[in-house]
Amino acid sequence: MIDAVECVVAGERLQLLSERAVFWPAGRALFIADYHLGKAASFRKAGIPLPSGTTTENVERLERIVARTRADRIVFLGDFLHSAAGRAPRTLARFGEWREKRRALDITLVRGNHDKRAGDPPVEWKLGVTDAGGRLGPFVLNHEPGAARGGGYALAGHIHPAVRLHGEGESSVRLPCFWFGARYGVLPAFGAFTGTAVVRPKRGDQVFVIADDEVLRVA
Amino acid sequence: MKRDDEAAIGPPTEILERWFAANGWRAFDFQREVWSAYLAGESGLVHSATGSGKTLAAWLGPLAEWVGEGGGDAAPPLRVLWITPMRALAADTALSMQRAVEGLQLPWTVGLRTGDTSSAERARQARRLPSALVTTPESLSLMLSNADARAKLSDLRLVVVDEWHELLGSKRGVMTELCIARLTRWNPRLRTWGLSATLGNIGEALDRLLAGGAGRVVEGVSDKKVVIDTLVPADIDRFPWAGHLGLAMLDPVIQAIDESRSTLVFTNVRSSAETWYQGLLEARPEWAGLIGLHHGSLDAEVRRWVEAGLKEGRLKAVVATSSLDLGVDFSPVERVLQIGSAKGVARLLQRAGRSGHAPGQSSHVTCVPSHALEFVEAAAARRKALAGRIESRRPVDRPLDLLTQHLVTVASGEGFEEADMKREVMATCAFRGLTDAEWQWALDFITRGGDALKAYPEYKKVERGEDGRYTVREPAIAKRHRMSIGTIVSDAAVNVCYRNGKRLGNVEESFIARLSPGDTFVFAGQLLEFMRVENMTAYVRPGKAGSPVIPRWDGGRCPLSSEVADGMRELLEEWTGDRSLVPPGGTRDLSPVYPEMRAVKRLLRLQQAWSRVPRRRETLVEQTQTREGHHIFFYPFEGRQVHMGLSALLAHRLGRTRAASFSLAFTDYGFELLSRERFELLPLLKGGLLSSDNLLADMLGSLNAAELSKRQFREIARVAGLVFQGYPGQPKTNRQVQATSGLLYEVFARWDPANPLLGQAEREVLERQLEFSRLTEGLRRMAASPVVIRQTHKPTPFAFPIMVGRFREKLTSEKLADRVRRMQLEFDEAAPPGGSAFGDRIENPEQGALFD
Repeated sequence: MIDAVECVVAGERLQLLSERAVFWPAGRALFIADYHLGKAASFRKAGIPLPSGTTTENVERLERIVARTRADRIVFLGDFLHSAAGRAPRTLARFGEWREKRRALDITLVRGNHDKRAGDPPVEWKLGVTDAGGRLGPFVLNHEPGAARGGGYALAGHIHPAVRLHGEGESSVRLPCFWFGARYGVLPAFGAFTGTAVVRPKRGDQVFVIADDEVLRVA
Repeated sequence: MKRDDEAAIGPPTEILERWFAANGWRAFDFQREVWSAYLAGESGLVHSATGSGKTLAAWLGPLAEWVGEGGGDAAPPLRVLWITPMRALAADTALSMQRAVEGLQLPWTVGLRTGDTSSAERARQARRLPSALVTTPESLSLMLSNADARAKLSDLRLVVVDEWHELLGSKRGVMTELCIARLTRWNPRLRTWGLSATLGNIGEALDRLLAGGAGRVVEGVSDKKVVIDTLVPADIDRFPWAGHLGLAMLDPVIQAIDESRSTLVFTNVRSSAETWYQGLLEARPEWAGLIGLHHGSLDAEVRRWVEAGLKEGRLKAVVATSSLDLGVDFSPVERVLQIGSAKGVARLLQRAGRSGHAPGQSSHVTCVPSHALEFVEAAAARRKALAGRIESRRPVDRPLDLLTQHLVTVASGEGFEEADMKREVMATCAFRGLTDAEWQWALDFITRGGDALKAYPEYKKVERGEDGRYTVREPAIAKRHRMSIGTIVSDAAVNVCYRNGKRLGNVEESFIARLSPGDTFVFAGQLLEFMRVENMTAYVRPGKAGSPVIPRWDGGRCPLSSEVADGMRELLEEWTGDRSLVPPGGTRDLSPVYPEMRAVKRLLRLQQAWSRVPRRRETLVEQTQTREGHHIFFYPFEGRQVHMGLSALLAHRLGRTRAASFSLAFTDYGFELLSRERFELLPLLKGGLLSSDNLLADMLGSLNAAELSKRQFREIARVAGLVFQGYPGQPKTNRQVQATSGLLYEVFARWDPANPLLGQAEREVLERQLEFSRLTEGLRRMAASPVVIRQTHKPTPFAFPIMVGRFREKLTSEKLADRVRRMQLEFDEAAPPGGSAFGDRIENPEQGALFD
C-alpha cells in the first residue's frame, strides 16, 4: 500500500514517500513541508463548520512514516502551525500526545510565513525552532523556495506544488509533486487539508507526482 | 385627502375606475377580478402571457383599500412589499407604481431596496420605510436579519411576488417561501399575490406561493396572436452539420431586421451576443448608434441606455441574452429573432411576447437555427407551441443549505425558538417533507458545526441561550453572514474599465488570465486592447483591428425540454415516410407545413444511408472508430442534462466490466462514450447495460467517478456559508480561512461522508443537473424499445455535432497511477535550464499556495 521511489539530489540518495514527505537515509532525517496544524480548527473558529479528522490523520500518517523509515530526526520546512486561531486545545493535545510517545526524535521547525503569525509551538513539545538558512549536510533548510546564497542545495515548501499532466484526447490531471531543480527543491504539502498550486518545471528538473498511494517519476 | 362622503359613493375601486376613465384607459376584467379578490381578503396568482396590466392589477388593490379606510394626508407606514427577481426590474416597477400613486393623488411613498440602493437611501429607510418597498428576495432576507424587522413590518398588508415562474424553479424561490412564511407568521392576515408568465404547472406554482393555503388563479390577457416561423436560408445544401454557424445566417437576419421597425435578437449566451453584434455592425456600419447590445455582464449604465433607446423607438435592433427576457414591454418592438435553439416552448413564447405590443399587432418570433438539427428543433417547437404544450418549472425540494442560511439570518435578527421555527419552516411547501433528522442536523450545523456527536468548542455561529432562544451573539459573524446572503454563485469577475475609469462591465477572471498586454478582444460591442490588470480591474483602450477574441462566460445552459424533444422525435419519424406511420388520409410530405424539414433533407438522407433516422419507439446506437479511439453514440433526444447523466451511468457500468477510461460528450440530442478500446455492445445490452435495476446506486457511483457532486457542492458550500465570497470591493478576504469548495468537498467526503450537505449535493446533481426523473423515464424507454446498433465507417451527421461539441466529461475505472503512466508533463520551454526566476513558473502566483 505504501510506496517510495528513490532519486539522487545534490549527490544524496533521497526516498520520496507517497505520504508526502522525503526521507534522507544518510542523515536518517525526514523532511516535511507545510503541515498546517490547526487549519480546520481555525475555520471552525471563524464559523465555518468542518468535520474533525484532519489532525488525527496527519498524526497517524506522521507516525507511519517515522515507524517505517526509523528516522532519528524530522525537519519541518515551515508552515507547521496554520494560524493563531487554529491553536485549539484539542488540536494541540493530539499532536502533543504523539510527540510525547516519540520524544526521542530530534525535531526542528524552520519558521514559515504562517508560523510567524501563529507563534512558536508549545515549549513542552521541545521542538528546535529556527529561521531559514540553516544547514543539514549538503542541504540548506528553507521555507520559501529559491537558490541558497553561499552554496548548498536548498529544500523548501510553501507553494504546495502540483503539476498538470496531459493524456490523449483532452484528459488532464493535476497532482501534488516533489520538484527538484538544479539548485533547490520543493516538497509537496504534507497537511491533509491543503490546496495546491500548479507549477511548470523546466527540462532538466526532476519531478515526481503522487498518484494516490504511488509515487511516479514524470521528469 | 379626507373623503367623508366616500362611503356613499360605492366600492373602493370606484376611485380606480375613475382614474382609468380620466386617462382614456379601460381596465381589463382580470384586473378588476384581482382588485375585488384582494379587497375581500384573498390571495392568488395572476397567470398571464404578457406584461400588460399585471403591475396595476396587483398594485391598485392596496391603494383602494387605504382610500376605503379613510385615507389621509400622510404616507402610511409600509403596507406593500413587492418582490422582484432582478434589480433592473425593481427600478422600472417602482416607477410604474409611483406614477399610479401620483395619478391617483395619494400621499403614498414608493421606495427601492436592492443591492444597488445607496447608503443614504438605506439610512432614510432605516428611520422610516416607505409605504411600498420594491425589493429582491436577498434584500428581503437581509431585512429579516435585523432585530427590528418585525416592528417595521407590522402594518404589512400585501406581498407581491413578481415573475414567480422565474423564481419558482430555483433556490431563490425557496428563499421567497421562507421569507413569506416569516411575514405571514407575524401577520396572519397578510395577503400574497404572485404574478407569473405562462407556465405549465400553474396549480403547483399557486400552491408553493401560498404554502398550500387557499387562493385563486386569475388568467390574464390572452388574446394576442403569436406568429412563429423559421428563417430558412436559400442555399440549404451548404449548411454545416455542427458547431455554431457563427454568422452564416447573417444576411437573412439583416434582411429580417430591415423589415421591421424594431427587432430584438436573442442569443443563448453572452459571447454569441457579442459576436452577432459585431457581425451586424461590420455588415452594416451605418447602423452604428442604431443598434444596441444588452447582457448581464455589461455595466448598468450601458444597459439603461439600450433600454431607453428601445422604449423610445430609437434603436433598430438590440442583440440580447435572457437579460431582456423580463421587464417592461417595449412597444416599438415588432419582431423577435431567436438565434439558435430556444430550448423550450415556454421560453419561445415568452420571448415572442416581447414583441407586438402596439395596438392591433401580433407577436412574432422567428427562429434562426445555428446548425442543421436545430431546424428540426425549430419545427418541433412551433408544433408544440401551437398545441399549447407549455413546460412546467420544477420547484426545489428541501434545500438544506438554504435552510441553514435562513436560520442564521433569523438568528441574527430577533432570534428564534426551536419548536416555533420548525413549525414555521415546515409550513412552506419546500420543507413540508423535512425530516426530524434533517431539522436536528440543521440546528447542530449552525450551533455546533456538525452533528451532535462531535463537539467543537471553538466553533461559534449561532448560540442557544439559557432561555432556549437561538441567536447570533457576535456582531462580526452576523456581519459576515449578511454579506453572504444569497444563492447565486459566480466566478470571480474582473471589471473592465477605460483608463479614465469609465466602466464597461465585467468578464470572468479566467478570461483575463489568458490575455497578454496588447491582446485585443471584443466586449460591450467594442474592440478593446488589454493593457493591464490591477485589483480586480482590467484596464483597456480602444483596440486596432486584428483577430480579437470573444470572452466566454460560464453560465447555466437550459437543456432541451421534453416537449420539444418529443416533437423532434415525431418529426423525424414522420420524415422517414414509413407508410405504417402515416395516419389515414395523411400525407408523407411535411414540407408545406414544415419548411424546416426541407432544409435538412440532404442531411437526413445521408443519415439514413450511412446509419438510420430513428423511429420514435426505437433507440439508435452507432459505433465507429476514428483516430481518437472507439466511439459509441446514443440518441435518446432527452436534453443535455439527462445525457450527461446517462453517459456517466453507462460509462460507469462499462467500466465495471473492465478497467477503462472514457471521454464523455453530450448535446441535447445524444451523447457519446469515447475510449481506447472497443466494447462489444450486444452482449452488454443483453446483460443489462440499460437496466433500471440498481439505477440509483449506479447513478450515485457514477457521480463520484465523474466528479459531478463535487462541482455541485460549490453552490452548496457557498449558500451554507462554508465559503465566503469576500467583502464587495475587496478582492481578497482573510487568507487563513480561504479554501475552495473542491477542497472542502474532499474533507467532507473523507471525514464526514454522512453529512447531509453531501447528500444534498448528490440530490441536487440528480434532480436539478441531471433531471433524474426524466433520466429514469428516458432509460426505461430506451430499455423497453428495440435497440438498433449500426457500425458506421465514419461519424454520421447525427454523431458529428456531439463529437465536436465543447462539453466533455471524464470517467474512469482505471487506477490513477496507470493513467498517469500514459500521460505527459508539459515543460516550460521558455525558461533557460537550471535556476531562472521562480515566480513566473507558477500559475496564479498571486494566489500562492493556499488554493486548490
